[in-house]
Amino acid sequence: MDEATCHIEPPAYFTRLATRLEPTADIVKKTLKSRDRVVHLLYLKSVVDMMQLQEIVVKPFYEMSAEQNFAEYIQSLPYETKMPTGDEEVLIEITKGNVFVMIDKQITLLELKIVAANAVQEAIMEPTIHGPQLGLSESIETNINVIRQRYHKPSLIIEPMQLEDASNRDIALIYDEERVKPQLLKIIRKRILTLEVELVQGSSDLQYYMNNKKYSLFPTSLLTERPDRILHNMAVGKVIILVDGSPHAIIAPTTFFDFMLSMEDAYYSFWVVSLIRFLRYAGLFTCIMLPSIYVGVTSYTPEVLRTELALTVAASRIGVPYPSFIEVFFMLIFIELLTEASMRLPNSISATATTVGGLILGTAAVEAALTSNIMVIVVSLVAISTFVIPISEMNYAVRVCRFLLLLYTTAFGLAGMVLGMLGLLLYLVNKDSFSEPYLRMFWKNRQEELKADDS
Amino acid sequence: MKFLSMSKWFMVVLCMSGVLLQYGCAFKDIDKRLFVSAIGIDPAENVENGYKVTLKVALPFGAIKDSERPSFAYLSREGQSIGEAIRMLETHVDKVLELGHMKTIIVHEKLLRDDMQSFMDYFIRRGDIQLIAYVAGARPSAETILKVEPNTEAPASVALINFFGATANDSPYVVTTYLFQLRRDILADGINPVLPLIETNAGGDELIVNNSVVVDGREDPAVLSTIETKYFNSLLKDSTGFTYLVKEGSLKLLLNFSQSKMTYQFVPSKGSGAPRAIDMHIVMKGTIGEANKDLSIAKLDDYNSLASKDVKQRVMHFLTKMQEENLDPFGFGLRYRATRLHTEDIFTTWQKAYPDIEFKVTVDVKLQGTGSIE
Repeated sequence: MDEATCHIEPPAYFTRLATRLEPTADIVKKTLKSRDRVVHLLYLKSVVDMMQLQEIVVKPFYEMSAEQNFAEYIQSLPYETKMPTGDEEVLIEITKGNVFVMIDKQITLLELKIVAANAVQEAIMEPTIHGPQLGLSESIETNINVIRQRYHKPSLIIEPMQLEDASNRDIALIYDEERVKPQLLKIIRKRILTLEVELVQGSSDLQYYMNNKKYSLFPTSLLTERPDRILHNMAVGKVIILVDGSPHAIIAPTTFFDFMLSMEDAYYSFWVVSLIRFLRYAGLFTCIMLPSIYVGVTSYTPEVLRTELALTVAASRIGVPYPSFIEVFFMLIFIELLTEASMRLPNSISATATTVGGLILGTAAVEAALTSNIMVIVVSLVAISTFVIPISEMNYAVRVCRFLLLLYTTAFGLAGMVLGMLGLLLYLVNKDSFSEPYLRMFWKNRQEELKADDS
Repeated sequence: MKFLSMSKWFMVVLCMSGVLLQYGCAFKDIDKRLFVSAIGIDPAENVENGYKVTLKVALPFGAIKDSERPSFAYLSREGQSIGEAIRMLETHVDKVLELGHMKTIIVHEKLLRDDMQSFMDYFIRRGDIQLIAYVAGARPSAETILKVEPNTEAPASVALINFFGATANDSPYVVTTYLFQLRRDILADGINPVLPLIETNAGGDELIVNNSVVVDGREDPAVLSTIETKYFNSLLKDSTGFTYLVKEGSLKLLLNFSQSKMTYQFVPSKGSGAPRAIDMHIVMKGTIGEANKDLSIAKLDDYNSLASKDVKQRVMHFLTKMQEENLDPFGFGLRYRATRLHTEDIFTTWQKAYPDIEFKVTVDVKLQGTGSIE
């Protein structure tokens, strides 16, 4: 800065904003001056793209002759964002990466932000063989771009909202205006605006807060990273919620059956999909009920088994010191530990952990007569079938369920298991997701059903 | 809704898990149970009008794959009634006797009388005994038969069960009678239950099931011979695997029947309407399994009529023998009662008519080939 610029006093408003931001190190107050023209810039250099700033603002300033021209030029730029009212809001915009430009009395916000993590990531949580291999990125703009790119309709609405928490994060509701239910939109907007939380880290905890209940087991909205799942759900009238900085989108409302759907189901022929779905539901029931069935059958009603199997099971339990339910409980805890451990470990080590834990410990436990080998089969079957459930939130919920069911069966035998399942069913029937019944079926196919709801 | 405080929750969980550890009488681990696989009933030697009950208990043991022989324990006890004897036997073992897998009831030949209902009642009433248990007669005694451990018996399986119900053995010589069926047949008028008769060889290492017993009120139950058992089974139960030897001059044919079907109708007499005759039609389908001469497919009709004539003779013989003994294993009487308009004396009409009823049997053998390609 030369001598001449130093004595130009920035306007009072500009100074006020600057002092509010002052203590931070990355603030830049700049006054551009050429002949009698003066432009004040205020931005945070850590979030602004310097190259763009140079190309779009600084260079034209010195190339243009009249001040009036430059003001019009700035206003015509496509980067302009809406000027909010109030100092606080303007400051928030600046922290998001907007450049505050002041030319005489004209103030403009230019969005010249730079986002480090805007690369689209590979879909890790829900891998499929066919379908898109890439998921979302951590930048909301990129994510909207990903969705827009796949859904060309003027009725696709992107509704920006801002969280009222410490982070002031940008979120966006995305929906197809023609298909979404107005009532649903109202509920979701209200749910988001009335959130009372300190800090939202991303879509995962936003989803939790939107659930609206402290103690709930089953998820009422779905987190996904797959663009095809987003479109699939949007096309049937659901709302997608994107949070800036989070590579997952929230889909709401969701029914139980949405969690049992893999996007791959759309890519195969009917009979193949039928088989896969059958396997998935069989896996669901296996992983919920098998530990309970083991306890119920071996300790209450062994006549359910065939004679040969009854003798084999009895033989395998010879020398096992604890009653069957303690055995099952320990083995389930053990397998949960194993799952949890292999999830937290880096990929290269987790294979070793599984081998050591599953194979070696399992065999050793049987050899040492701490558990029966039938039990090891049961537990591994349970562990495997848990992973058949495509969405991990449901996966966790189901894992909790089987402990509850185990408790019931331990106390009341197979009758208790049936009772427990009935209780679970009652709970699910009673549950709703954003005022949609949780166990509602045929969301996609029953158009009449949808229409009936609206009237 | 008010939530309990953390410490109260903790106490609740602690109490509940404490309760779970105090598992009581319904909760019994599978290794604390003894699986009774068969029950044998003999007349008591020391108790008057009592029974001797023998239990065959299948013992589970370590590595089933490695062991060559199944292992069983036998428990015997005499008592006034079967229930009493079993109650006493429970005091002879350290574990609980589990009757849920008891699938064979073996009754001494001498006890197969009409009053067997009185002691079989126990099995019907006891909730954990399955009504699909097999019932069989035993010669010389139920205990001897139970203690036979055939060489073909695999570990963790019970040979007695495999004989019946065509799960493993589907020979036409083996009659299968279930517990529910026996009770029904005993209580119903117009049918005599038929039970398989289990015997053993001199060495005591084989079970032989190819005769059967028709249960009736009499002291000495009528035993069906091996051939009669086969006819009974294939006519009534459509058993397959029926072989039949036809001799005509020097020609010997062994026919394998894969299907047999018997239908019959009552022919009423003109005046009273009481049944005068039974019009029976038997269709058998099969192939020629063995022959001592070259056969021609063109002569298949000849073989058919040859076989038909022969089978007819045998069936007639069997039917008239049963009639002479006044036994009705086929349940002609039951069918008669079920298909006529009910009157008070319908069964007495039948009882009067049965000894003189005439059997008109037509047999239609349909051979489907000579069994070889020309």
